[in-house]
Amino acid sequence: MNRLIDIAKNPLTIALVLIAALLFLGNTLSPGFASGGQILRLLIVAALLGIVAAGQNLVILGGREGIDLSVGGVVSLSAIVAGNVMNGMDGGIPLAILACVATGALFGLFNGLGVTLLRIPPLVMTLGMLGVLQGLLVVIRQGIPSGRAAPALSEFVTRPFLLGLPGIIWLWIGVGLLMAFILHRTVFGQRIYAIGSNEQAAFMAGVPVRRTRIALFMLSGVFAAIAGLCLLGYSGSSFANVGEQYMLPSIIAVVFGGTPLSGGKGGYTGTMAGAVLLVVLQSILTTINIDESGRQMVFGATLLVLMLFYGRGRGLRA
Amino acid sequence: MTKLKLSGVSKAYGATLALRRGDLELDTGEVHVLIGANGSGKSTLCKIVAGSVRPDAGDVLLDGRAVTVSGPRAAQALGIGIFYQELSLADHRSVAENICLPDLPKQSGFFIDRAALREKAERYIALFEAVAGAELRADTNVGDLRADQRQLVEIMKALATEAPVLIFDEPTSALDRAQVDRFFEILRDLRNDGRSIVFISHRMDEIFAIGDRVTVIRDGETIDTMAIAETTPEAVIHMMVGEQEELAAPQQAAPPAQAASTDAALTVENLTGAGFRDVSFTVRRGEILGLGGLHGQGQSALLKALFGAPPPSAGEARIARERLRTDSPRSAIAQGVAYVSGDRSRDGVITGRPILENVTPIHALRNRLVLARPGQLAEKALPALKALNTKFAGLSHSIGSLSGGNQQKIVIARWLIDKPDILLLDDPTKGIDLSAKTDLFALIRRLAEEGLAIVLYSSEDAELLNNADRILVFNGGAVSRELSGAERTRYNLYQAAYEAA
Amino acid sequence: MTTNASLTKQDGGGFGTLLRRFPFLPALLIFAVLLVLNGIFEPNSLSFRSLTGLVRTYMALMLLAVAQTYVVYAADIDLSVGAIASLVNVTIIVLMQHMGGGGLSVLAALGVGVLVGLACGLVNGFVVAALRLQAIVATFATSIFFTGLALVILPVAGMPAPTVFWRTYGGSFLGIPFVFYAAVALAILLYLLARTRLATQLLAVGDGQQAAFQSGLPVTAIRIGGYALCGVFAALAAFCITGDTASGDPLVGAKMTLFSVAAVVLGGSALSGGFGTVAGSVIAALIIGLINSLVFFAGTPSHWQNLVQGLAILAALMVGVLVSRRGRA
Repeated sequence: MNRLIDIAKNPLTIALVLIAALLFLGNTLSPGFASGGQILRLLIVAALLGIVAAGQNLVILGGREGIDLSVGGVVSLSAIVAGNVMNGMDGGIPLAILACVATGALFGLFNGLGVTLLRIPPLVMTLGMLGVLQGLLVVIRQGIPSGRAAPALSEFVTRPFLLGLPGIIWLWIGVGLLMAFILHRTVFGQRIYAIGSNEQAAFMAGVPVRRTRIALFMLSGVFAAIAGLCLLGYSGSSFANVGEQYMLPSIIAVVFGGTPLSGGKGGYTGTMAGAVLLVVLQSILTTINIDESGRQMVFGATLLVLMLFYGRGRGLRA
Repeated sequence: MTKLKLSGVSKAYGATLALRRGDLELDTGEVHVLIGANGSGKSTLCKIVAGSVRPDAGDVLLDGRAVTVSGPRAAQALGIGIFYQELSLADHRSVAENICLPDLPKQSGFFIDRAALREKAERYIALFEAVAGAELRADTNVGDLRADQRQLVEIMKALATEAPVLIFDEPTSALDRAQVDRFFEILRDLRNDGRSIVFISHRMDEIFAIGDRVTVIRDGETIDTMAIAETTPEAVIHMMVGEQEELAAPQQAAPPAQAASTDAALTVENLTGAGFRDVSFTVRRGEILGLGGLHGQGQSALLKALFGAPPPSAGEARIARERLRTDSPRSAIAQGVAYVSGDRSRDGVITGRPILENVTPIHALRNRLVLARPGQLAEKALPALKALNTKFAGLSHSIGSLSGGNQQKIVIARWLIDKPDILLLDDPTKGIDLSAKTDLFALIRRLAEEGLAIVLYSSEDAELLNNADRILVFNGGAVSRELSGAERTRYNLYQAAYEAA
Repeated sequence: MTTNASLTKQDGGGFGTLLRRFPFLPALLIFAVLLVLNGIFEPNSLSFRSLTGLVRTYMALMLLAVAQTYVVYAADIDLSVGAIASLVNVTIIVLMQHMGGGGLSVLAALGVGVLVGLACGLVNGFVVAALRLQAIVATFATSIFFTGLALVILPVAGMPAPTVFWRTYGGSFLGIPFVFYAAVALAILLYLLARTRLATQLLAVGDGQQAAFQSGLPVTAIRIGGYALCGVFAALAAFCITGDTASGDPLVGAKMTLFSVAAVVLGGSALSGGFGTVAGSVIAALIIGLINSLVFFAGTPSHWQNLVQGLAILAALMVGVLVSRRGRA
């Protein structure tokens, strides 16, 4: 019985049940919503968000109010960098990947150094970095064209690749496995949880707190950069601030996945479900026939209601 | 006349029972002392009365009427004021604002009546004028005050509620003699005015100086209430520890120091840092060096400094012949130094994580592991846990599911997989049960026999006297005396701790 | 018995004491430096006219930063201030239009605008403090909701404000620009608010929620009060936006939310709560304005301006955090 309650209270269960319910609802409102092709399309969108959320998840798990508001900027920047490096040519893909990862890691490193060495609160540091990235985007856009995705990249993201699933879905599954491996089978993963749940105790047990936290911010940048690359493949060419739409949703996906913003608890499997949940919800709202204003109101209100499912803060009276 | 009566009050946090059965009868116009070992449930009892903890069961009667204390505000409305052991001060607010925080004087509805605020605060500050120190003024920020002054502000804050029932949960722990004396004068005045006062302290002399009656709590249960005039410190201590005292403090004298080998494992020379200065000593392999003295005289700070958290500011420490690098716990660990803190929830336990992850971080660090293979790690962890008689259901269970004593065993076990050369124990038995203490000290002796050098600070004198081969008594951040051999008596320890202080 | 000498807290020297008293000093210093730099690059920028323009343009951000400061006092955050400002902006525009655009209709609309801001603040306070949701994500969700409401009221940007409204905001009385009256009124209001019980209680809650609760403060009500105050100031910010842009736009405030957070930090307040001043936030909003104009006057090529601004704000944020931490330590 207790086991059942535990399963019912598990964020992953909540997310999966909600996803199923929403798909059912969507299919009732608009038959064909839950068809295979449509679900695949949803999963591609969810994969883009989910990959950004992977890095966000790591930063949040590491605690000390960890949060990365600059992911949106990195996504946009990476899409431009990739577009220019490959410029519509398949041969440029490896170099583009390299350039994107380096870009993401570099900005992650700046964030990490600011947060650890200068002890700037992550919210402030990454917010400032977001401003810098947005400025940088304007500069780059003036100097060079936005560039185009290589055909192979677009195909990888949108066309079936293996077992009828597009490459990006496989990539996302790979990210999921990698995250599970990092978090549960490496000492680094244990250290992430350790600094997130009790930084002082982790420090006293010899955990390199700063280095670990810097690594988390760098990984966040790298994941955002990879998502930017895939986003370029998804849309063919990059346009202004494509990444902005990922900033706060990536945080919400993490929260819906059962990782509280206080850190030290949770994992990526839930976040994946959270990303799907968010995308399905948004998609239902575009399917039903209401205008933009109503859609936003329903979306905002639904987010609030869903948050109630994910455990509220502790009361002050013990 | 009974002012406040608690019967059968209980409180559990998850699996841990903080208070099993709390009973208390508080009369009008008395100072009622509550006494019990750390973790026996005194604070929980007080917080239930003050409304900040919700009881699971039990009745509270105030003036003979059953009441529900639904929160701190309700408690204030009922006329109950409290001094919190952990203090309830806002660091960035002024002394005056803190004293009046529960009920800031109003002016035309919204505004703070600054004049009234100041006037009210000055009244309570004046009570301690002669002993508080010049910095304690109405407009000083509380965060700028010394520990004793902050404690005085919390006292003033409790007094300012003017409540008929006042609870003081360890109000004197940081106060000096003159401050305590002044506080007691005030308490006596309040008692003579007919107020009912609950007073908690660990200092037997204070209890007998101020108390009218004493209630003893042990392991979350009220044992008995007696009139102070009709009892003795020995009788009270006996009730506090129950039948089990022998377990914790084996009567056999500590083994002679010559059992230890002659090569120095750790040499400390003129070490100075925050909270201690000019400390020198040598520990040999196989020796247990005790650090004694009153609480907070630099013992903890010294041990932490040797572990690099934070590093000392001057002086030198050597292990064997090499200089000990104390820049961070990481380098200390790499050189074979281990540190166990008594404040396990702060420095030890990785909250909410599995037992296995709590046992293995040192092993992973010392062997530069990259992968964490649960099966392999479990093989390493189990013998260490067994050596301490740790009770747990499974390695994957959260460490939070264990009792305090078992949590501390887990934290200690992490040092046993790859044995260190030097073990620094910083009041390691704080707040853990007697059987866990027994297991722990058995292990410490065994480790010493295996050749580890051990430095032990304990806030309980019996632990030092029974286990340490030598004792350095700390006073005001420096070593005031070294006790070895037959000198290791409670009398000498007390004398060295209190002299010139 | 304890030698307190060794335990005495180190005083951070005269500078530390000064900083604890006036946490906005670093911001004031940065402000002065920027003012001088502006004067060097473009002497004209220090003219009465230019400064009036600066205050007029950044009055909205000042008010929004003040709004944010009150919730940050209590260690909360409000990512919906921009959305509230947008909602109030379109509400008053539409109301003024419907009621004919006369002086009385303007006043009535402003009254309703304040109530809308208050209501939004209460909603935020309810979800964060009473329902105990995480402030960052919960106020993000409410911001989406408020934006939706704004889109209902005015689906597309563009409805103009009545002439009397923007003429007043941009105009002068007795030779003194209206915004300076507004600034003086704001200063008086902030001074009065600083002396309220609520302001002190918010700071006490931010210093330690548990301690405040144990002291008997109604923590939930206080935090809701902070959000309510925040909503009202966001509404006042909306009035300035409306006066400045002279039109309604359901998305006008969105970009300003993060700037309001930046201004609070820049002004020396701690995001962890318990410490800060609204004066600092006001100065910081002007700093952001001065950075923007300096970048312009320094002759930065137009497409480089955003980057330089971003870098300058990041640098200012770092300096602000580092310096004010020295004061608090």
